[in-house]
Amino acid sequence: MMHMLKKIPKWNLMLVALIVLEIVIFGLINPRFWNISILLNSFNDFIPIAIVAFFVTIVVITGGIDISGVSIIGLASVVTGLLSQVVGLNIWLSVILAVAVGGLAGLLNGILVAYARVQAMVVTLGGKLLYSGIAIVLVGLSGVSTYEGFSKFPPGFGQIANGKALGIPNAVVIFAVLFLLAYILLHRTRYGRYIYLTGINQNAAEYSGINTKRIIASTYVLSGLGAGVAGVVLTSYLGSARSDYGVEYLMPILTAVVLGGTLITGGKGGVVGTALASIILGFMQVGLQMAGVSTQYIGLATGVLLIVSVAFLGINPDFRMNVKRILSLRKEKIGG
Amino acid sequence: MSRISKILKQRELRTFLFLVLLFIAVGLVNSDYLSLQNIDKSLKSSLMYIVLAVGMTFVLLTGNLDISVGGTLGLSAAVSGMILRDGGSIFVAVLAALAIGLIIGLINGYGVIKLKISSFIMTLAVLSITRVVQVIYTNGKWVENIPAHVKELSSVSIFGFNALALIVIIGVILVQLYLTKSSKGRYYYAIGDNKDGAVSLGIPVDRYIAYSFIISGVSAALAGLIFVSQIGFVSTNAGAGIELTVIAASVIGGVSLVGGIGTVIGATLGAIILTSLNSALVYLKVQAIWNDLISGTLLIVIVVADALLAYNARKKAKKLRLNARVLQKGV
Repeated sequence: MMHMLKKIPKWNLMLVALIVLEIVIFGLINPRFWNISILLNSFNDFIPIAIVAFFVTIVVITGGIDISGVSIIGLASVVTGLLSQVVGLNIWLSVILAVAVGGLAGLLNGILVAYARVQAMVVTLGGKLLYSGIAIVLVGLSGVSTYEGFSKFPPGFGQIANGKALGIPNAVVIFAVLFLLAYILLHRTRYGRYIYLTGINQNAAEYSGINTKRIIASTYVLSGLGAGVAGVVLTSYLGSARSDYGVEYLMPILTAVVLGGTLITGGKGGVVGTALASIILGFMQVGLQMAGVSTQYIGLATGVLLIVSVAFLGINPDFRMNVKRILSLRKEKIGG
Repeated sequence: MSRISKILKQRELRTFLFLVLLFIAVGLVNSDYLSLQNIDKSLKSSLMYIVLAVGMTFVLLTGNLDISVGGTLGLSAAVSGMILRDGGSIFVAVLAALAIGLIIGLINGYGVIKLKISSFIMTLAVLSITRVVQVIYTNGKWVENIPAHVKELSSVSIFGFNALALIVIIGVILVQLYLTKSSKGRYYYAIGDNKDGAVSLGIPVDRYIAYSFIISGVSAALAGLIFVSQIGFVSTNAGAGIELTVIAASVIGGVSLVGGIGTVIGATLGAIILTSLNSALVYLKVQAIWNDLISGTLLIVIVVADALLAYNARKKAKKLRLNARVLQKGV
């Protein structure tokens, strides 16, 4: 236990150092990067990624994975537009229902993973197809152009992502609130401890009286709700609702989770790392853009970052064990 | 015939029956769907997916995943397409594509075995890197104006049968024989079924996992060549998202993501089902917007049914074992 507590902050410290490094380097290339308000406004570009990544982290800690979030973003976006503009519901009611639809999609994933014992990867792959399929059908049936989507939102709705509260961009506030929510759930409640226990050893957790199936299913609901919120925020930011929102987020979301130090096999990790990692990714995107690098090349940086970070995380324990073994062998030889 | 191969046969039979049922059901609504012409067309358009699914099956059998196949396909298609466009020989283009597949497979294998990165993460990272490499190599432009004689290669026919389809089908049968009949082929099943057990048996596990990624990479490169020949141009996002379709096809065909279960015949049938489904919607006069919804639902229904069947089978086997033990005690 101490071992675990000791290790995670060290990784987080490294992530903080990486952020500082980014700020220094990108600032030297383009001093505009040091402008705080530009930096804070850049939150808008990666906030949907961070929101989904927080809750995918929780899913991954239980030993599962959720790749359907990227489709739930589009689905929630379309539902918001459909309910408010075609059905004619109040915009805020539509927003709540859209997030709820995200939760329902997550519930379906969760039930199939936890109770039908289907592999999480396969279920959420099916879910990814299914939910984006539903979104495409909803857009198609309502007769809106796929490219423009639903775009007649009231100005108040745009304030969700583009407004400011006390001088701080709302995007930053949303990021902070959802981070706190995920942090408290995972690190400050009994529910959070159960999530870790389930991820470390599901059988042991089950025998100690935890309803692991319900815990696992609930994490997918959280992930679905998170993706629903991300869909609404993205819709508000861009001013229109489209079914293809989020399709390119799969890679950044998983990078944020893994770079944040969460083990893909479960049982270890946390949302602090995910938050830091998503800031790293966000700054990298903004910084590279400011440095004049085309967005098409950003995949190279994230890909390399992903491999390097996981190689570090993966090699460390093994490497240490091998060193220990060699040392102890030598001792034995000397002793014998 | 051993018992295990009989059970495996049943799974493929179910997939095959489903495919037949699909054709009959759609044929009842629109008889054109059952025409030889359409069946030939369905088969032709699924060739690329079949080749990818066969490669993917090797990786899945060892209990790993290969998300990078779409990137490999795109890159090898772009490179060989550019060679052909600039007047290079087909031989050089094929060699270049195969080299790309081999190198990407080696990189994936190295990451998974030596760096101990989970295959999902490793291949995902490689996917995004290969995409950028493709953009850099092609300057972000489409590869067009591929000479007509290359495009004609995909429609050469032998005895009234598409030559490419014939080659792919023979290839699948050979791979199936290799995997089920040769001892080396069984290694892949052993590794996926029980890795530690395979190590104890003296199987070079790491080497065979590396082979599986190389096979998948080379298959993706071959699929890239089929792409160039069939489609005739290569866009910067050629093959985007195809990895998930291929995994879905393999799973529909009965290949397990846990490893150790599945055959390339099943994966092939899965690939044919997924591509036929898309053309079936056209014949049923269903709008294309329904494609994802229907394939997603189908995938979920099939995996859930599979999981429940497997669970029941396990429960039954457990009961039988328990009964046998009780009987022994009685004696």
